Amino acid sequence: MAKNKALSGAWVVIAAYNEARAIGRVVADLASLPYRVVVVDDGSTDATAEVAARAGAGVLRHPINLGQGAALQTGVDYALLRGASHVVTFDADGQHRAEDIAALLAALSAQDADFALGSRFRGTAVDLPPLRRLVLRAATLFTRATTGLDVTDAHNGLRAMTRRGAAHIRLRQNRMAHASEILHQIAASGLRYVEVPVTIQYSRYSLAKGQRASEFVVILLDLFARRLHP
Amino acid sequence: MTAQLLLSFLLGAILIYAFAERRRSPVVGVLAFVAAAAGLYFVWVPAHATALAEFAGVGRGVDLIIYIWVVISLLVLLNLHLKLRMQTEALTRLARAIAIGEALRADTNEARPDEPAIRPRPVSARTQ
Repeated sequence: MAKNKALSGAWVVIAAYNEARAIGRVVADLASLPYRVVVVDDGSTDATAEVAARAGAGVLRHPINLGQGAALQTGVDYALLRGASHVVTFDADGQHRAEDIAALLAALSAQDADFALGSRFRGTAVDLPPLRRLVLRAATLFTRATTGLDVTDAHNGLRAMTRRGAAHIRLRQNRMAHASEILHQIAASGLRYVEVPVTIQYSRYSLAKGQRASEFVVILLDLFARRLHP
Repeated sequence: MTAQLLLSFLLGAILIYAFAERRRSPVVGVLAFVAAAAGLYFVWVPAHATALAEFAGVGRGVDLIIYIWVVISLLVLLNLHLKLRMQTEALTRLARAIAIGEALRADTNEARPDEPAIRPRPVSARTQ
């Protein structure tokens, strides 16, 4: 592999499954910023990989669909292999703002932290339906109780981490329980974390792609199974 | 007598299964072994099953055996679930290795444009 200084720096990892409609715009927004963008196509059956590549992202393809947690871990592993100094996780459905990444990275260096977690409840959640707000609040309370982390938003896909921090993340929850798993691993790493206000823009599209309240039962089951078989 | 023989055969199979599983999942192995052994004992000494059932407040010894059978089934189910998880993890590692390997190979080919670009064939999950 060519040793190239431009390869280091911040890498934005996007896990995408059948996001052909949204991914092009998301990657295009990021392309003007000084980050490397890698999209992990999680076995999509639509043109996600092609659209992402055309918009300027590096694309990794899972041969089969494994889940968002698995795709994120693949992207993180790849970014670390390519010498990333920072890894940012970003959602594929267009609910995050590319500008917020700079704030997360700035918070890492300003506060000498290894993880910067986006929080819509410290920041702004635009058009967040009341039921979704309630479920997210409940999930956050649960996470606070089980990890001991003082976070306000447990299921926010926008996070930044240093290389050292990213090396502590080993996601084994392939499905949605990975959001809690990341927080558990952050707590276990003992490294410093900060929360940074971010804006989440809800749209009909992102709400349809997002987690439904009933899925939290599945998440709890996944986390329980994890305890049985660490 | 027929029922006793049938149950003995099935419970015997569970005993062998539990014994074979003890390395891979000790908890399930031991629990299933104990439950199957108890079941086997009660099948042949139903009087004790009835006594124990009365003591436990279950009613009939046969009911107790059925309950034990249910417990065994649940344990086997749990074991299968855990095994499936392990399979999924192995599959995940495999898919990840393929995805990263292909990307790194593509990077290498881009970095050396003078060499013929041998691109790995993209693995598609699309159904034909």
